Amino acid sequence: MSTEMLKVKNLVKYFPVRKIGKKQYVKAVDDLTFSIKTGEIFGVLGESGCGKTTLGRVINRLEMEQSGEIQFLGQSISGREYKEDKYFRRKMQMIFQNPYDSFDPRYMIYKSMDLPMKINMVGIDQKRRLEKILETMNHAKLTPAESLLTRYPHELSGGQLQRISILRSMLLNPRFVVADECVSMLDVSVRADVLNLLLQVHKELDSSMLFITHDISVATYICDTIMVLYAGKIMEIGSSNDILNSPLHPYSKALVSYSPTIRKGEKERFRITGEVVTPIDPPPGCRFASRCPVAKEKCTVEEPKLRTIDNNRQVACHFV
Amino acid sequence: MALITMKDLDINYKLKSRTVRAVRGFTLSIDEGDIVGIIGESGSGKSTLAHGLMRILPENGYMEASEIVLNGRDISRISDAEFRELRWVEVSIVFQKAMSALSPVHKIFDQMYDTILSHKPATRKEDAEKLLTKLFSVVNLPAKALSMYPHELSGGMMQRIMISLGLVFNPKLVILDEVTTALDVITQGQLLDEIKRLVREFRLTAIMITHDIGTVNELCNKVAIMYAGELLEYGEVEDVIFNPFNPYTKALVKSHPDLNPHGMGLRGIPGTLPDLSNPPEACVFYERCPYRKDICAKEKPKLIDYAGRKVKCLRVGELS
Repeated sequence: MSTEMLKVKNLVKYFPVRKIGKKQYVKAVDDLTFSIKTGEIFGVLGESGCGKTTLGRVINRLEMEQSGEIQFLGQSISGREYKEDKYFRRKMQMIFQNPYDSFDPRYMIYKSMDLPMKINMVGIDQKRRLEKILETMNHAKLTPAESLLTRYPHELSGGQLQRISILRSMLLNPRFVVADECVSMLDVSVRADVLNLLLQVHKELDSSMLFITHDISVATYICDTIMVLYAGKIMEIGSSNDILNSPLHPYSKALVSYSPTIRKGEKERFRITGEVVTPIDPPPGCRFASRCPVAKEKCTVEEPKLRTIDNNRQVACHFV
Repeated sequence: MALITMKDLDINYKLKSRTVRAVRGFTLSIDEGDIVGIIGESGSGKSTLAHGLMRILPENGYMEASEIVLNGRDISRISDAEFRELRWVEVSIVFQKAMSALSPVHKIFDQMYDTILSHKPATRKEDAEKLLTKLFSVVNLPAKALSMYPHELSGGMMQRIMISLGLVFNPKLVILDEVTTALDVITQGQLLDEIKRLVREFRLTAIMITHDIGTVNELCNKVAIMYAGELLEYGEVEDVIFNPFNPYTKALVKSHPDLNPHGMGLRGIPGTLPDLSNPPEACVFYERCPYRKDICAKEKPKLIDYAGRKVKCLRVGELS
């Protein structure tokens, strides 16, 4: 449990803004440093434009970083595209938000499940591969497996397809999975089952996961650790219970207090104004300073560093 | 006093080979000053209901009702031309996708002025400007937004514009159709606070259509639970959410991750919605209900008054 599966150091990803004359950049992921332990579900929480999806894509090698280092299973994977590296692809998988987009609409489910194993030479022959698919599906109580396999993606519901997409990503026994908003499209009654399936397969494989979400209740349900991002920067890292029950950073406080819940009674809001900023050439200082109710002059000048408070709790704020 | 009373409201969609019965036998009476949340998952008919009330169903949609009394007048049998006089003046709607509800090629003022002119053709430009500036200040929008185009505004600002457009004639009833769904957490929370205040200031009655129990808990005082086109439970939020009687409501609340401690206790609802082109004769939730008995497959439950709320379940006496 204590070994580190993934280490990210000073990771930077900028996107150029198309503009004539002056060159500008969206600083989507700006100098992130964190690590994920074996068996850990690491949540990335933030609003739109905070860079959470970009982070997932960079780690999964779907985008290349500008600078910084990523270590995966003790090896550096930065600077390489891994497009053809099957070994790497087997070890790191991804689950996307919209399952209808992540299955080929012209393939039967069986073909979509079988192909990754065939390409990666898992299972000796077709018969064994089919056995493994059926076993996995039956184990996850996705039944009747045989008849589901003969369907096409459009014939299945979003919940069913997302569960199949989770199982598909697990067929290669990956060590690390990036799940990008993988339940946001689903109805609550279906979402619960998908989350539980995710927890179950994760536990059985003892893999690690980067779980990207904007929903704090989903994050606290599934994640061990939560990292709060705002405009490309880390605001706070801590255990999910700590972030939920005693957020330290003003932004985390606001995020928790504004999330709709089904708890009784009126909640005290940690009021902030304004809206999410897009990090295009941001001013110096703290990214959150323009909206922060406790910001002082120092915040607009000096950028707060991520400090370790206690118990693996890290916060980037001058006044915590 | 009841502001709107719907009795036996049916909405059907005629397709080539079949008729989808999206809303069936919907009976509900909403009191003045209430904020009623209508919760349902996709396919429950909640949006269809809202569109039916506004008479903006697609061409293949047909609504029938024994009566719909709005403000003392039966509006179920009046002509479209007569209804056009009422629409926006007595009842207005705010849509989920503000981006697609606003015209991208007209300035905000021009399109809002258009709406005003269609009901009060004699309104002068200056008066409209005065009115809209005042409305904008109420919903926390800068007056300069009037001379902007939709693409220059953020999602939260556009949604505020849609809300102020809905309030232009100070209607009695406002239908809010998933207005906060596409927004970021903090923007969503801010908007909910504002809607709460507006309802009080403008003495509105509001219907909030949503799939999120948390939103209803924060905004509404009454809640209606819809499933497969039928109303299953209606009552005070405090009662229905924290002590549900109907098995579907029970399951729905259980499947909400809320701010539960990590990893435990979340349960989905197995199964899928019944086919609404051939809805079940008896209880609509029978197939998925954990409390079902043989009688539930034979007899259709009625919506009955029970312990201060309305519930549709044959076993309500035993289950509550």
